[in-house]
Amino acid sequence: MATLPGPDILKGTLDLLILKALSWGPAHGYGVARWIEYATDDALAVGEGTLYPALHRLEERGWVAASWGASDTNRRAKFYALTKQGRARLAVETENWHRYATAVFAALKAPAHE
Amino acid sequence: MARWTRFRRIFGPEPKEDVDEELAFHIEMRVRELVERGESPEHARERTLRRFGNYEQSRRECVEIDERLGRRMARTEYLTELRQDIGYALRMLRRAPGFTLVAVATLALGVGANSAIFSVVHGVLLQSLPYPAADRLYHVRTLYPDGTAYLHASAPDFMSVRADTRVFEQADAFTTGVYTMLDSGEPKEIRGVQVSDRLFDLLGFRVALGRGFRPDEHTPGAGGVAVLSHGFWQREFGGDRTVLQRSVRLGGASYAIVGVLAPEAELTEEAEIYMPQPFDASFNASTATRRRAEFLNVIARARPGVEAVAVDEDLRRIGTALQRQFPGTNETLTFNAIPLRTLIVGDVQTPLFVLLGAVGVVLLVACANVANLLLARASARQGELAVRAALGAGRGRLTRQLLTESLVLGLAGGAAGLAIAYWGTRALVAAQPANIPRLDRVGLNTTVVLFTLGIALLTGLAFGLLPALQATGVRLTRALREGGRGGGAGSAGHRLRATLVIAEMALAVVLLTGAGLLIRSFIELTRVDPGFRAEQGMAFRLVLQGDAYKEGADTRNRVDDLQARVRALPGVTAVAASTMLPLSGQGAMIDFRVENAPPPPPDVNQEIAIVSITPEYFHAIGTPLVRGRTFTDRDGDAAPLVALVNESAVRRWFGDRDPIGQRVNTSGRIREIVGIVRDVLQEHPGHAPAPQLFVPFAQRTTRTLRIVVRAAGDPLTLASAIRAQVRAVDPNLAITRFTPLQQLVWNSIARPRFYTSLLALFAGVALALAATGIFGVMSYAVAQRAREISIRMALGARAGDVLRMIVGRAIVLAAIGAVLGIAVALALGRVIQSQLFGVTLLDPLTLVSVLLVLSSSAAAASFLPARRAAALDPASALRDG
Repeated sequence: MATLPGPDILKGTLDLLILKALSWGPAHGYGVARWIEYATDDALAVGEGTLYPALHRLEERGWVAASWGASDTNRRAKFYALTKQGRARLAVETENWHRYATAVFAALKAPAHE
Repeated sequence: MARWTRFRRIFGPEPKEDVDEELAFHIEMRVRELVERGESPEHARERTLRRFGNYEQSRRECVEIDERLGRRMARTEYLTELRQDIGYALRMLRRAPGFTLVAVATLALGVGANSAIFSVVHGVLLQSLPYPAADRLYHVRTLYPDGTAYLHASAPDFMSVRADTRVFEQADAFTTGVYTMLDSGEPKEIRGVQVSDRLFDLLGFRVALGRGFRPDEHTPGAGGVAVLSHGFWQREFGGDRTVLQRSVRLGGASYAIVGVLAPEAELTEEAEIYMPQPFDASFNASTATRRRAEFLNVIARARPGVEAVAVDEDLRRIGTALQRQFPGTNETLTFNAIPLRTLIVGDVQTPLFVLLGAVGVVLLVACANVANLLLARASARQGELAVRAALGAGRGRLTRQLLTESLVLGLAGGAAGLAIAYWGTRALVAAQPANIPRLDRVGLNTTVVLFTLGIALLTGLAFGLLPALQATGVRLTRALREGGRGGGAGSAGHRLRATLVIAEMALAVVLLTGAGLLIRSFIELTRVDPGFRAEQGMAFRLVLQGDAYKEGADTRNRVDDLQARVRALPGVTAVAASTMLPLSGQGAMIDFRVENAPPPPPDVNQEIAIVSITPEYFHAIGTPLVRGRTFTDRDGDAAPLVALVNESAVRRWFGDRDPIGQRVNTSGRIREIVGIVRDVLQEHPGHAPAPQLFVPFAQRTTRTLRIVVRAAGDPLTLASAIRAQVRAVDPNLAITRFTPLQQLVWNSIARPRFYTSLLALFAGVALALAATGIFGVMSYAVAQRAREISIRMALGARAGDVLRMIVGRAIVLAAIGAVLGIAVALALGRVIQSQLFGVTLLDPLTLVSVLLVLSSSAAAASFLPARRAAALDPASALRDG
């Protein structure tokens, strides 16, 4: 559990990570936060203060559906699940991210222009 | 998955609490994680919060998003349910086509009648006049000491009002006249209007072509210009734009066309051509002459914020000042003003609102009828509703479902009603009933459609609410409770339906009573002796204009010539000329005094209506001479001045003295009364004749005349022969149309006839609907009581007894309704009091007729169910029951 300040999370990337986190199955907000920490090795300091509004916004857009259920500790918790649109969105965003990253990497490796 | 739903909220989302709970859960989980890793709880908590970042802002954002989302979901859910309800309603209505048809037709009738009459009320009464700030426009009237107000004012008085007013921002005037246009082949009568300098400006008239009048064109002798109305330009000149290079010959004078008005520029009266009013010497606020020659229609706009009372007050002030300044002419006169709108539509306002009320009542009856149908249906649907309730539909949901059905019915009825209104309004306008003003503005516009939509929804609620509440078992009253359990089949349910029928009957009676009273009034109107014989008489107008008629003698010679020629036609029994026909108004007013009579009290109007006639006039219209003699050819312009008076004039001016041989002073000319004639109706049968003075045409020659022809047969067959004679006398004379005298009689009662027939129609519809209601209730009662009836018959009751029982019950319902209805009708009577003539509100004949009509309709409507009851086979009914 590192608290090192990581690079600022790129706009839109948080949404992509949340969708990815939920692609493994429904989870509450804490579960999503934990998966992102684990998956990024906590390199991207995702403040929960931005995570929750992002989750709610995704719900508003219809990409995730929320419902109340019981947690493992049998506490009332709000669970999020990917909707069909959310899953499609995840595919598109993943593809976009790949293209974007490839382009940036290519650029960083390119020699000087003649 | 079951555990997902375990905590599902029942009462919808609560964004704030949900967000708090969600975030608290997060914090708690994180703290627990850290503690498990060995941190102290305080430290763990502090680290968690730091890591979380801005807690408050995050919370606020989440709540905002959730609230937005909640609202959207509620809306979506509502729309989904509504769509479901409507779909369900449509399926249910399709499954019961008979019911749907009857209900929609009933509502269409009610709604259609309402939107048709509303469109008339809207077009005629509610829409403002097509002038800028029209609600501040007034017509200035000359007020005589006896309280009569004349619509016309003299030129000096007009100028005085214009100069001295403190309330008007602008005052202008016009005069209308009939002109003979000579340019286009046949001479043609057209309606011309002379306007003062700023009338176009006052009424917001714009020109479509050319220009209006210049100030210098009002100088006497400088005119010679004309502006065409848009309609006349289209009709007469085919919208030709080169018309500005042309001129028209009206009578003897030629007018250069300088402009064409825009289509929406319409005067309060029919006008085809406009000319500048010459401002001669009498258009002067300080002159004493011609103050008693009233010929101008004065229209003025009050300043913003000035009340009608203040307008009258100011006009009275001006009048009083003129009384002091010009005692010779204005001694007792003053002025007042009538809102222009009242002048135009004041007469039709009450009757139209009465008709609107009447169709409102028809709609109520229609609602009650459909409510009754729904109640009957609800009991048939009790099973279906129970199943839906058992499947989890709450009472609110079921009520909403039933109401949706009603609203769908209401809207369907409204749509069909709109179609009825469309045709009804067109038929109404095409029939041009009774000279109702502004009818051309009547039509189905947005307001009318919105009104229709509104009442369609309202009716849906009105007739749907009671059955819906009853069917879903809301405990309103004991009666409803019992009905609810039995689903309208219980005796209380039946009582509710009987109550609705009684209400329908009562409403129908209100209309029947109103219609009955109007019909009786109308009959009384037709019974009034008009004072002349209309049969076999006809009249046409003659306007003698131009140089050929400059001298009185020329005019008289031509008129004599024409009378002689027409008299010589085969079948003609009498020919005469007159300045005023019966039922066409009083005639021009003239100062009047009886010589050597005690001076009349100051509040008596020193004027009398004067009519010029040729000797055969009373013979031609068929009015008897009471005493004395009529005029002869010897009463020429050089002979001693003579006059006839009507009976009203005798009563008003002569008291006990014998008028014959008396000398009277008419505006300074002394005439001898030589005879008395019977009163002739001047306005309409409901308006008592006013005093009239008749003088020989030879001694008072005018140039606008009515020629009356009486024939042995149908005078209209003489039309072409008469036309030929007129042309022979002067090819420049126009005859627009021949009017049978009978037409004058018909026109005089056209409005009452129109209102009466419409109200009778609506009363008939209400009665028919109420009778349908009785039919329904009795049919239902017979079906419900089949067992009881069968027992009665098994115990020896005969078919006749059963018949009497059922019909008797219907008549009892009708009687209760009738008593209530008559009470309401009498209470409402004041509104039609002013429309009544010759009958009182408590007219026994009307009331008895209403009762008879109602009870016979009730008997007729219940006869079929009663016969069905009487034909019941006791054995089978008992078995099935």
